[in-house]
Amino acid sequence: MVGRQYDCLVNPLGAVRFTFEKAVASGSDPASFDHKDWGVADLFREFLFDNDGLSQVPILTPSTVQVAQPNTLVRFRGMIQDMLGNEFYVGAYKNEETWNTNKFTDVSQFPMGTSPDMRVWERRLLYCVPVPGQNLWADSTSEGAIYPCTNIASANREKRLRDNCSVSADVDMQDSSNDLPLSPCAKKMRGEFLPSENITEGTDCGASMVPDSDGNDFACLVKIYDSPESDLKLNDVFEFIGVLTYDTEVKDDKGGDNELANSFPEDESVNLPPSKVPRLHCLVHRKLSADDMILSSPAMEPKPHLVKGIRESLLRHLTVVLGDDELAAHFMLLHLLSKVHARVDSFAVGKLSLNLTGFDKASISVFGNRINDAVKNLLPFTHRMPLTVEYLNTASLAPVKDYQTNRLVPGVLQCADGSHLTIDETSLEAGTLNSNGVENTKILKDLMEFQMVEYDFKYYKMKMNADVQLLVLSEAKSNILPADLVVPFHPSSVGPLGIVDAETLNAWRWYLATLRSLPHSIETEMQKVVEDDMVAARQADRRLGSEDFSRWLSMGRLMSVSYGETCLSHEHWQMVKEMERLRKERLQ
Amino acid sequence: MASDFTPANNRGGPSSPDDGISSPIGSTFSSPNNAPSSRRKRGRRSAAYETPPPPSHSRFAATPDATPTPNSTAPSARGGGRRRAPSVTATPSTDDAPPSSEGGDPDEADEAPPMFVWGTSISVQDVNAAILRFLRHFREHPSHDEGKYMKAIHHVIEIEGESLEVDANDVFDYDNDLYTKMVRYPLEVLAIFDIVLMDLVSRINPLFEKHIQARIFNLKTSTSMRNLNPCDIEKMVSLKGMVIRCSSIIPEIREAVFRCLVCGHFSDPIVVDRGRISEPTMCMKEECKTKNSMTLVHNRCRFADKQIVRVQETPDEIPEGGTPHTVSLLMHDKLVDAGKPGDRVEVTGIYRAMSVRVGQTQRTMKSVFKTYIDCLHLKKTDKSRMNAEDPMETEQSTTQNDEGTPLNYEEQVEKLKELSKQPDIYDMLTRSLAPNIWELDDVKKGLLCQLFGGSALTLQSGASFRGDINILLVGDPGTSKSQLLQYIHKLAPRGIYTSGRGSSAVGLTAYVSKDPETGETVLESGALVLSDRGICCIDEFDKMSENARSMLHEVMEQQTVSIAKAGIIASLNARTSVLACANPSGSRYNPRLSVIDNIHLPPTLLSRFDLIYLILDKADEQTDRRLAKHIVALHFENPENSEQNVIDLPTLTAYLSYARKNIHPQLSDEAAEELTRGYVEMRRRGNFPGSSKKVITATPRQIESLIRLSEALARIRFSEWVEKKDVIEAFRLLEVALQQSATDHATGTIDMDLITTGVSASERMRRENLVGLARNVIMEKLQIGGPSTRMLELLEELKQRSNNAELHLNDLRNALSSLATEGFVVVHGDSVKRV
Repeated sequence: MVGRQYDCLVNPLGAVRFTFEKAVASGSDPASFDHKDWGVADLFREFLFDNDGLSQVPILTPSTVQVAQPNTLVRFRGMIQDMLGNEFYVGAYKNEETWNTNKFTDVSQFPMGTSPDMRVWERRLLYCVPVPGQNLWADSTSEGAIYPCTNIASANREKRLRDNCSVSADVDMQDSSNDLPLSPCAKKMRGEFLPSENITEGTDCGASMVPDSDGNDFACLVKIYDSPESDLKLNDVFEFIGVLTYDTEVKDDKGGDNELANSFPEDESVNLPPSKVPRLHCLVHRKLSADDMILSSPAMEPKPHLVKGIRESLLRHLTVVLGDDELAAHFMLLHLLSKVHARVDSFAVGKLSLNLTGFDKASISVFGNRINDAVKNLLPFTHRMPLTVEYLNTASLAPVKDYQTNRLVPGVLQCADGSHLTIDETSLEAGTLNSNGVENTKILKDLMEFQMVEYDFKYYKMKMNADVQLLVLSEAKSNILPADLVVPFHPSSVGPLGIVDAETLNAWRWYLATLRSLPHSIETEMQKVVEDDMVAARQADRRLGSEDFSRWLSMGRLMSVSYGETCLSHEHWQMVKEMERLRKERLQ
Repeated sequence: MASDFTPANNRGGPSSPDDGISSPIGSTFSSPNNAPSSRRKRGRRSAAYETPPPPSHSRFAATPDATPTPNSTAPSARGGGRRRAPSVTATPSTDDAPPSSEGGDPDEADEAPPMFVWGTSISVQDVNAAILRFLRHFREHPSHDEGKYMKAIHHVIEIEGESLEVDANDVFDYDNDLYTKMVRYPLEVLAIFDIVLMDLVSRINPLFEKHIQARIFNLKTSTSMRNLNPCDIEKMVSLKGMVIRCSSIIPEIREAVFRCLVCGHFSDPIVVDRGRISEPTMCMKEECKTKNSMTLVHNRCRFADKQIVRVQETPDEIPEGGTPHTVSLLMHDKLVDAGKPGDRVEVTGIYRAMSVRVGQTQRTMKSVFKTYIDCLHLKKTDKSRMNAEDPMETEQSTTQNDEGTPLNYEEQVEKLKELSKQPDIYDMLTRSLAPNIWELDDVKKGLLCQLFGGSALTLQSGASFRGDINILLVGDPGTSKSQLLQYIHKLAPRGIYTSGRGSSAVGLTAYVSKDPETGETVLESGALVLSDRGICCIDEFDKMSENARSMLHEVMEQQTVSIAKAGIIASLNARTSVLACANPSGSRYNPRLSVIDNIHLPPTLLSRFDLIYLILDKADEQTDRRLAKHIVALHFENPENSEQNVIDLPTLTAYLSYARKNIHPQLSDEAAEELTRGYVEMRRRGNFPGSSKKVITATPRQIESLIRLSEALARIRFSEWVEKKDVIEAFRLLEVALQQSATDHATGTIDMDLITTGVSASERMRRENLVGLARNVIMEKLQIGGPSTRMLELLEELKQRSNNAELHLNDLRNALSSLATEGFVVVHGDSVKRV
């Protein structure tokens, strides 16, 4: 398109209008545009992806939201936390014989008469939040275009890595973020972006826009157009690119004459003041995989030798982290690669939760943090949960629907697929659970066994599938949280963690993100071997059950996946059996 | 106030305050349900008082605003009013000049040139006539001499009711066209409907003061909340959902009376006009005429009830990965408080939208709309678990009954019957039960019987016999007992799942507690009472405290829970089947101990279980291989794999509920005979000399169990008669359950060899033959009290006779031991002696 009359970045609505007018001029009836796109999406797709406009689009963050201009193009990366239903709006209307459209805006450009030529269309409202537990390195803000703060982020990362070397120094900082498993990164972010906040704080709007600068509350109301319902699901992670609007005037909507609104503050504008929650009229959205979270994706082909190299180095790293316990490192690697890849009835195939036992108060303080940091550096979304009686009694793990505000109140376990959760059971002591505590343990157990969280809608409960990697650290085998794999942890030394350069780190991240989603199959001969092995094992030990076999197969799959292979080989199967043998030895 | 409508002509004027609410289609009032009564009365009164018009409104009050009658203020450019008459005077819907006041009114309409609902070719007079025809002539059955609705109207007049319920299906049957119009243009058609009703009523009883509204329900099609979209606006919709919130009742002003502060003069009642009351700017009294002196007199105003209710989707309508949608309902008058939070309701109403004003003072309108449903009718569909007659009748099947046309239901019944005629239906159902748990076919058969249940019987004397089958599963860890339990719990609609470890006696039965606030004593139900007419699954039965277990005695036989506590003496029904599972006393089955010792539960309790399954882990390569195969398939293949010829879950539940509801089998003579014979046999076996207390002996309870089991088996076949084969199968189940075929009656222990090799039917047959053969040989060879013979010799002899080389010493040993239990021979080591 030569000579654009608009700038997609600064004046996206101009582009919308332009295409609309063009479509109308070419003889289309605006009435037929319902649920349809008249070329806007194509235009923006072309601009964003073909012409590399994406990197120019600023990312909405607590800091950038203060400077971002309304009605410009922005993007927002987040998880769909709640769905607020559909909204009807005047899609097209006639103003003195010309058709205008309200699509992608909240307020109409021209005074809308009450002309009979008014088309009502609908759009979906999604309440999106930054992905819970998102780690700093995966945070999109670091590549934000408004303030190129990549330097800050990476500097900080290196600093943190160095901190890791001196374990004791790290403890304090870690503990502070432990209390809020949802927001370790948010907290840090807050500190980190302080400089940029200072810049804007002087301006008028700054204070009113983000009265609470805690990143936790940062959310975005995304309005989705013309997209089938099945495209966007709860807890999916998306990047939304669209028009930013604040309709600040709505603030005084508490007038006494809107009865519906008064008796039920159902209007989201009442609950979600636009000053806190920016609106985004989504033009283009795309689902993000863990791959997209990596800063500078190496974009490598999973070539065998390459993969093998990364695997070796990652395994070495994990071994060091785990105090030279190589077996635990092997299991850890498989655990980090696990993913629910199918569901049969209520059984989630592919999960591999790991329970490292043998921690005591002293070792948890050392290794707990080492493990935690390692996981944080490797996976984009991680949580840490200190399991205490008090925590169980008070925390709200499962999301609850609040009918007062008509919102789904997030729980700790409402997290994106592929999140990692470390549960520290060592601090759990004997005590009485109240009903909330009992409920919470049940929820945790369900998540462990079925990879499923029951959302509480008060009048009924709804089961939502989850895909969370669960790591339990405990003194002895955890009976509250029966993990698939119980591995006694035998560290032999607390070696210093070498400094890992950013490139290696990225390669590891890429390795974990990419290989996880590899397809996998088994050949008939191998299948026979596996079956024979299982039958023989069961003849030898009657205690083996379907869970054990399931675990073996999951491990076999992950083992070959860890080598970048898509088919279970004899060698890998032997490795799994050997690992199981060693594990059994330790258990005795 | 619900609605602020600026008069339409103000809208163009930039200076006029633009207010918030307007419907997209325009023909709207946001306070829809002005009760016709008030309105009409108002209309009449206003005429009487000769207050300058607002022409009074239809129920939805939209008309005057949208319909520019020449004598009303100014034609609105807004023109949303669909029913603006193209012609001149007035549309009948506007002119609802009360027919009661002047009978000639409708006639006038008749004489007027044909009028149409605006923008359509629907003639108002036609609709009017069609409704009248429908009300007058609709009969449910041709033989009725009085129309259904005429009767209903008379009834309403008698009880001085306010509304007439109209079944939309009747309208559809009588006049398809009218139905379509009503659904598409409900505002207009219902307004006419009300006028017709008014007219009818006033002819029947001119003194009848109240005004009757038509409440339409039972639309042909019901939408799901998710699918409501802009084209449903202003249409009649029907949807199902669950009430989640009710607002408090809002008094909505209908008529206001003002008083002059200076002279005390009361103004005439001022009616709500377009959602607004125009306060008189000066006193109307000639002598006073003070300006700005009027004040509202609250207790002389008229108010109507109004309530806003939020309804949410029911779980079954929510697609995967979505959250439930909600919608607001606007309720008026009688409908207020018709539903409470938690009720499942079916709502019929008009879908409406109104625009949202940005701010009170702003004139910019937001381009969005708020939507709600003007509720016309609300029906509670709460046939959920607690109210269902038979809880086995699952929700699915009830909804099928409810919404699916009868035809559909018939069809399904036909299908089920077809299914029941299959010769292998019993096996097929067994296969379909928990298909991902291997083996345990006999256990599954028992569970199947439990699900189908026997028939409960109450004698005239008052004695009652339960029809519920109780099952206990005792077995080694890791034999998928818990999975079976979970599965049954999921399948049985009113299943309660509890773990013995965490259950106390009161938790299972019922307890009395004091309400902390009021101090009142309340009876709270425990698991058993909650699963009345369902299945109570108790895991880890063995870990349950002695005390708690003893509570089960009453429940399992008498099917009630008695309570005598804190001044409350009550007996609650607990007609529940108990499905319990336990580990053997030493957590693994100890083959050296007897079955009783292994189970280690008091015999009083044991005898109350109809079936006690010993699930022992067999080291069977075949089974292991199947398990391995299954798991490999699970991990590497498409989830849609494996088992063919399995009945899917919905069909299974439908089959179940149909059988439980409609099939009540009776014992045939033949079956009764078999039952007696078998029972006597069983008693004999249990009582033979030498058997200590180590065997579970047959008691009269067993025969009841057998009857229940055979009834259930007949039910599975949809058979009204219990046949001989059912009884035989029931005996088999009872026997298999306790592995009795492998039990050594002398010691009460189980011969593990027998179990591990597994006993197939053919094997049993072979064994019986062998016993017979051995008996014959011994009869021939040995004398009573004569010298003993060596076992090997016997074996040789037997081998010769049976021409069967595959006879092992072990087989013979087994055969001899069963002969020994009969007291036929005595076996000492290797020698056999006849006694």
